[in-house]
Amino acid sequence: MKHPYQNIVSTSTHLFVSVQNHLQAFDVEGNLVGSWKDTIGHEDLLKKQQLEKIEKLNQEPEIKRAENNKKVKIPKIPTPGPGAPTIYNYIRDLELTHDNKYLIGITDSDKSIIIFEINLNEDNCLKLIKRQTFPKRPCSISIADDNSTVIIGDKFGDVYKIPIIGENVPEKDLKPILGHVSLLTDVLITEHNGKQYILSSDRDEHIKVSNYPITYVVKHWLFGHDEFISSMVQFDFDRELLVTGGGDDYIYLWNWYGNKLLSKYPLRDLIEPLLDESHLPPERFLHEDSPKEISVVKMITMDKFVVVLFQKVNGLLVLEIKDETLHLVELFPLDYPLIDISAGGDKIFGLSEDKIITQFTFNGKLTIDDKEFKGMIENNPCEVQSKEEFYPLYTMNTLRKRSEH
Amino acid sequence: MDKSLQKTEQEEIESKRKVYREAKEQTRKNARRLRFDESNPQPKKDSVDSPRKRFYRQRAHSNPFSDHRLDYPKSPESMDWSKYYPQYHDKESNNMLQDVEIADIGCGYGGLLINLSKEFPKTLCLGMEIRVQVTQYVEDRIIALREQNKSKDINYQNIAVIRGNAMKFLPNFFKKSQLSKMFFCFPDPHFKQRKHKARIITNTLLSEYAYALKVGGIIYTITDVEDLHNWMVEHLTEHPLFERLDKQWEDQDKCVEIMYNSTEEGQKVERNKGDKFIACFRRLPDPEI
Repeated sequence: MKHPYQNIVSTSTHLFVSVQNHLQAFDVEGNLVGSWKDTIGHEDLLKKQQLEKIEKLNQEPEIKRAENNKKVKIPKIPTPGPGAPTIYNYIRDLELTHDNKYLIGITDSDKSIIIFEINLNEDNCLKLIKRQTFPKRPCSISIADDNSTVIIGDKFGDVYKIPIIGENVPEKDLKPILGHVSLLTDVLITEHNGKQYILSSDRDEHIKVSNYPITYVVKHWLFGHDEFISSMVQFDFDRELLVTGGGDDYIYLWNWYGNKLLSKYPLRDLIEPLLDESHLPPERFLHEDSPKEISVVKMITMDKFVVVLFQKVNGLLVLEIKDETLHLVELFPLDYPLIDISAGGDKIFGLSEDKIITQFTFNGKLTIDDKEFKGMIENNPCEVQSKEEFYPLYTMNTLRKRSEH
Repeated sequence: MDKSLQKTEQEEIESKRKVYREAKEQTRKNARRLRFDESNPQPKKDSVDSPRKRFYRQRAHSNPFSDHRLDYPKSPESMDWSKYYPQYHDKESNNMLQDVEIADIGCGYGGLLINLSKEFPKTLCLGMEIRVQVTQYVEDRIIALREQNKSKDINYQNIAVIRGNAMKFLPNFFKKSQLSKMFFCFPDPHFKQRKHKARIITNTLLSEYAYALKVGGIIYTITDVEDLHNWMVEHLTEHPLFERLDKQWEDQDKCVEIMYNSTEEGQKVERNKGDKFIACFRRLPDPEI
């Protein structure tokens, strides 16, 4: 069987998907038009760290070494113990520049941002032009309006910016432009009246609004979430509005510039019937009255609509914004949960274990298109024996705080 | 000494501490209730006793990244300060008469806070401390001081302590430009390179401190670790919203003197004949955006 695709971004003509350490580009007919495989693994990162340590030891003055009566010991490459969590070499996230000229991804193997130039006239449309490593694992990216700069949030709470074109910056010279003392979940660069701002969200309920490029001047925080935030999206028609969601029972609508919570759309009654045992907290945190947990994985906006993907829920929620409030359009039922979604033109593409990919048409309402992407299924390079070999596909639960101390 | 004997002894000490702290907890609970009920009878004698520090010891480090079970307000507007400063709360309007203006971040056993209370008797000062037992000690100390000084001019009603992670949740407590002074006294040095982000002064956190500080407000730092001092000076100097105050300024500033002499950590350094390094920085206005 094939490993399901894990990430998708799309335009109206092309789909860019990742599975494990493979990246592929397809046209909307399902023909493979580009591919790339990450050949760097986690071992390479460890080897690099070892070399750095040796280098450092070698630089230690001779006298000091003699004093300590020590030979230069070659540091070991750490081998994980029996209980250690598995490390997956995979592409964590994908984004396209607004002009669809560059594809930007995050690799977990060496904590890098990878940037591809998309040239559809080439046999392989994906050409890697940059691989910038970071001190900590990047986990979220946003692209400036002028398509020149990528804003990157990492798992350690720091936000960086790098140019799309141009030389790599040595890792030690990378300086965060702002930071949280928390795991960052999303970053968004936006503008208001010709001035730019960065919105950054974390698992400790914070959404911070900073000026850009003068990021050291914080504008304010948007307070209101009780759980982690996983997704922040905006509408093209009014960029003062911001929709946020995560571990809460609500989708929040803000005027982010004016620091005003406009409304909250309640999810519990609507989504609860679609939750199952898998939405309960892990056993050691489980109480008799533990509610099943709702987690927003991703949201996309189209015109005045928001499409919401929940973790392991057989349905897509469509909301419409009217009079500064979110209204229900539909909870579109599905036979299987989706892993990731992306919009291109009036189409929405959804990845899943069951169907690999599903195409929807959206014209105020969703319909499933009767379309099979044979080429995608055939060209998926990741063959696995059983579902046990799947990489984790639904990871939102690790963001929820379950404190014991 | 026999290991098992040692262990039993250790357990005995632990349980003694526990019993003591439990008794104090009851006092604390009573004190919280009494603040709202002024018709209460005379408090029991033990609430007047100052707490004894040896029952509250806790290791000096705490990981600012971990998910402690913390109470923090959802936003500065939703913070209920009346529990902490009952005499500065107007019951009729249910408003605070004034805001907290001085924050002692990582206040430890509260020495600085108590001296600030005397120096600025009309200003609300808040200590924030991440270690539970140390926070309880300070709380008990304040309860005792308030009881002992009820009818005096300096009655310690203007100081309070909160258990919290200031690095993570400072913006939940303080509005923009609310603070006039922030103290960072003997912070955890986090010697290892890869732990440097856990230091309380980093260039990214400084932007959040600058948000809470009013223009002209002061950040005070003191440490006995020269490396950390250099680190703090480097980062604060680098930050566009802060400028260092010179030695002359330090010499005439009352808070510098208090900070130098009054913290428990500082006194320990003194006893060990160690150095103390001071640096103070003023919040500059935001640039034109």
